[in-house]
Amino acid sequence: MQIFIVLAIPILLAIYALVDNSAKRIGITNALGYALMLFFSVTLFADRHIGTSHISFFDFIYLDALSVFFIFVISIIAFAAALYSISYICSDLQSALITQKKAKLYYLFFNLFCFSMFLVPSVNNLGMMWVAIEMTTLISAFLVGFYNTKLSVEAAWKYIVICSLGIIFALLGTILFSYAYSVLGESKSLNWTELYFAATRLDKNIIKVAFIFIMVGYGTKAGLAPMHTWLPDAHSQAVSPASALLSGVLLKTALYGILRFSIILNKSVGPEFVSHLFILFGMMSIAVAAGFVLVQKDLKRLLAYSSIEHIGIISVGLGLGGVFGLFGALMHIFNHAAAKAMMFFGAGNIVKAYKEHNMNSIRGVAKIMPFTGVMTLIGLFALSGFPPLAIFLSEISIAIAAFSHASYILGIVFLALLAIVFSAMIRDFSKMIFGNVPSGMKKVHEPFGVKSAMLLLFLQIALFSFFLPWIFKDNFWAAIKLLQGA
Amino acid sequence: MQIFTLFAIFLSVCLMAIAKRTQALVIAFRIQSFFLFLMTLLLAIEDGNIDLYIIAGLLLVLKVVAIPIFLLRISKRLKASENIGLFINSQLSLIALLVIMYISWYFSKMIFAYDGAAQIAMIAASLTTALCGVFIMIFRMTALTQIIGLLAVENGLFLLASTVSGGMPFIVEIAVFFDVFVSVIIMGIFVYRINKLFTHIDVDKLTLLKG
Repeated sequence: MQIFIVLAIPILLAIYALVDNSAKRIGITNALGYALMLFFSVTLFADRHIGTSHISFFDFIYLDALSVFFIFVISIIAFAAALYSISYICSDLQSALITQKKAKLYYLFFNLFCFSMFLVPSVNNLGMMWVAIEMTTLISAFLVGFYNTKLSVEAAWKYIVICSLGIIFALLGTILFSYAYSVLGESKSLNWTELYFAATRLDKNIIKVAFIFIMVGYGTKAGLAPMHTWLPDAHSQAVSPASALLSGVLLKTALYGILRFSIILNKSVGPEFVSHLFILFGMMSIAVAAGFVLVQKDLKRLLAYSSIEHIGIISVGLGLGGVFGLFGALMHIFNHAAAKAMMFFGAGNIVKAYKEHNMNSIRGVAKIMPFTGVMTLIGLFALSGFPPLAIFLSEISIAIAAFSHASYILGIVFLALLAIVFSAMIRDFSKMIFGNVPSGMKKVHEPFGVKSAMLLLFLQIALFSFFLPWIFKDNFWAAIKLLQGA
Repeated sequence: MQIFTLFAIFLSVCLMAIAKRTQALVIAFRIQSFFLFLMTLLLAIEDGNIDLYIIAGLLLVLKVVAIPIFLLRISKRLKASENIGLFINSQLSLIALLVIMYISWYFSKMIFAYDGAAQIAMIAASLTTALCGVFIMIFRMTALTQIIGLLAVENGLFLLASTVSGGMPFIVEIAVFFDVFVSVIIMGIFVYRINKLFTHIDVDKLTLLKG
């Protein structure tokens, strides 16, 4: 039942954004709405105990351990982004960057975007899932091109064209799956549950070809190299809270699309085929990202490339499989979402204060904005996998998976690339956070909404992500079992 | 009759590949969609299935009437968009199309287990349509042609779905139609924005973002 509330809240908030006229009031209502949503998604998460338990209403909605996990991650980041948006949009209004009408449109698109993201993990029909993922592209294009400058419109156009073209290959893959099912002589259906139960009878060659299309198609949306070219543009030009949503969770919803198909393949043709593809694309993404992070000048683009790296890490974890690999990948999905959202909030504050994306002219953040400086530093350590923080746990778990599978070369290359990204990020950010304040810069006021959003995410990275696997132990086990195709 | 519509679709693909102006491309797309509609209507009459009638109606309303009118209006308003900047000229495009056809034919023989040549030809035609759309998106570098290319890919996949598995489930088909319609409108809005900010819609000249 909660799933209907979860899906209804963004729609209601979108309608409210059209009715009300005060941007501040809309923002606060938004944040309250997403707090409620977070509550319901946690109850949803706590509800699913055993792997077999699922509910489906007229076969349309289907929830299992994996999908409630994704819903949970999306709702945390959505709540943080809603909190952060309040003061971000208000200050944009004050500096006359946007009009009141534009602020209302922002909240409208924000909510529709969240709705489409929540729809992806909750539908049963794979065709509807495709539609939902395509909707996320179409709606978020407005958030990318929001400021209507040359740069942002160019980024939005590239985003919409490359992602639509990429995702159409996923539709081709979906059609091939439906063909493989229809030759079994049963009534036509694209419901995941039915395909899953028929998995062992599906023609192996057809679904292998289909899965390659799915991987390329949804992989484009997930930002896997070499289809990642739209990602740095779109993520760097979007409104900062939307960047956090794009990097933190949108990429993962596309990955969820791949996972749904990979479960069917694991059951049908065995894990090898899928795992090789995941490792191939994953390692390519990490390598490409490492190269670009080293030479990056633009703050938000740096974070975007880091997202490509982390999606690569998650793919490698999924590809390696086993308890360590899958546990690491699932935890990394959560940890990266929280850490990356926090970094984008920090970057949003920095860009707002300095009116500059170029990292060479940003210096002394810690003196101008003490809170943002400290939080960005912690976020940086979290993001690059520094030991006491949560991402370390998931990365080391994936590395253990590599070594325990006796893929030593893979493990060593993986760790070496992570070290490169780590050092490059520390180099860039330490200059920005410390360093001498440029002349003429004054201390900047940091509003409560921004602080609370960053604190929330800090708690996620520092505390909650350690306890999460223990609190929801059964759920994690169920998700891992499901991913193994058992 | 089915073979006739098939040839007509092939013809429309060739028309798309050699079109030099935006209007011609839109009209080729309209012809393609019309024959898709005709084919779906024939299937519906044969089958007596109410769902297929609805889908055929949607094809007629959206892809034959609404979307082409919308695209033609945009291209009329943006006078700069008369020529579609061929990266590869018409003759070479036709040769490329030949290669695409052979690849599609080979692929469909490899994957699909049908005996009848007509079935394989249908699948090859649908893949050709889709790949030709991709070709147009890559080698015709204006924003409008990219929209039309995307629509052609979508047409091809629609044909593929209705050939191999008797169409996707009804609700999915409707949702995909809705999705295509929304995406054309949203992309249209962005074409206007690009034209306003850059005073042209040549995508290959959008090179501000690098690295």
